[in-house]
Amino acid sequence: MAELDDIIHQPLRLRIMAALNALPTASGLDFSRLKKLTGATDGNLGAHIETLAKAGYVAVDKAFVGKKPQTTVTATAAGRGAFARHVAYLREIIEAAGGQP
Amino acid sequence: MTDIDPREAASTLSEIDSIARRVRQSRIYHLCGLIMIWWGALVFAGNIATYLWPRSGGSIWLLVYAAGIAGSFAISAIGYSRNRVRTFNFRMLAAFLLFIAFGIFTVSWLGHFTPRQMGTFWPIYFMLVYTIVGLWVGYAFVAIGLGITALTLIGYFYTGDWFLPWMAVVNGGGLILGGLWMRRS
Repeated sequence: MAELDDIIHQPLRLRIMAALNALPTASGLDFSRLKKLTGATDGNLGAHIETLAKAGYVAVDKAFVGKKPQTTVTATAAGRGAFARHVAYLREIIEAAGGQP
Repeated sequence: MTDIDPREAASTLSEIDSIARRVRQSRIYHLCGLIMIWWGALVFAGNIATYLWPRSGGSIWLLVYAAGIAGSFAISAIGYSRNRVRTFNFRMLAAFLLFIAFGIFTVSWLGHFTPRQMGTFWPIYFMLVYTIVGLWVGYAFVAIGLGITALTLIGYFYTGDWFLPWMAVVNGGGLILGGLWMRRS
């Protein structure tokens, strides 16, 4: 049986991982787009991205586009694997309950 | 370790689906926005050029459509290679050519449109498809389609000799602004 991933299970981190996982491998989202998609504040989003990065689930790339700093967040292979296992765990819970939430 | 019940699991899965859908829609909007900006610039230039050189209108619009289709293909191909988002393929090209052929058939054989009527028919005809597609792809398309249609009709009835510059601003400018808006949403 798959296991619940406590790092991903936190609501905002789950939204971040869901958004990044919907992209093709090696594609990332910039900070402002991620903020818009997840509905998070700057500080909150930054803190949760850091937690995910420490776990090795996302890679953070900081660069300058013209004179503007741009932070791009990408799901790593480990992050995608952990997310897939977490989703499988959620599905197992529903199936164990006879498919009814 | 946290335990969760089936109701919470279902709600979490539903949230994951919702975010994934928004990401996909955002990527489609981003790419289609660029295609719209390209068409907007061409339509703006086409209307101004037709206003300045009305006798070359036919050739000008032939060039506009050729550049528009080629550019849409190029943007789509780049988008697909970078993000795996497909917005244009050969089936769509065939649909586009059928759509154009029907338009030409309508304005040339079924009716004998004046240049002003042609200048009104084509944007409205394009925006009709835009609006219909928007019902499936995203409501931003519907809003832009209906908005440009309304402004085109206002131009047809009320702008007199300023119809072509009006269309350059409304149709070309509308597409550019719509494209920029889509890329931000």
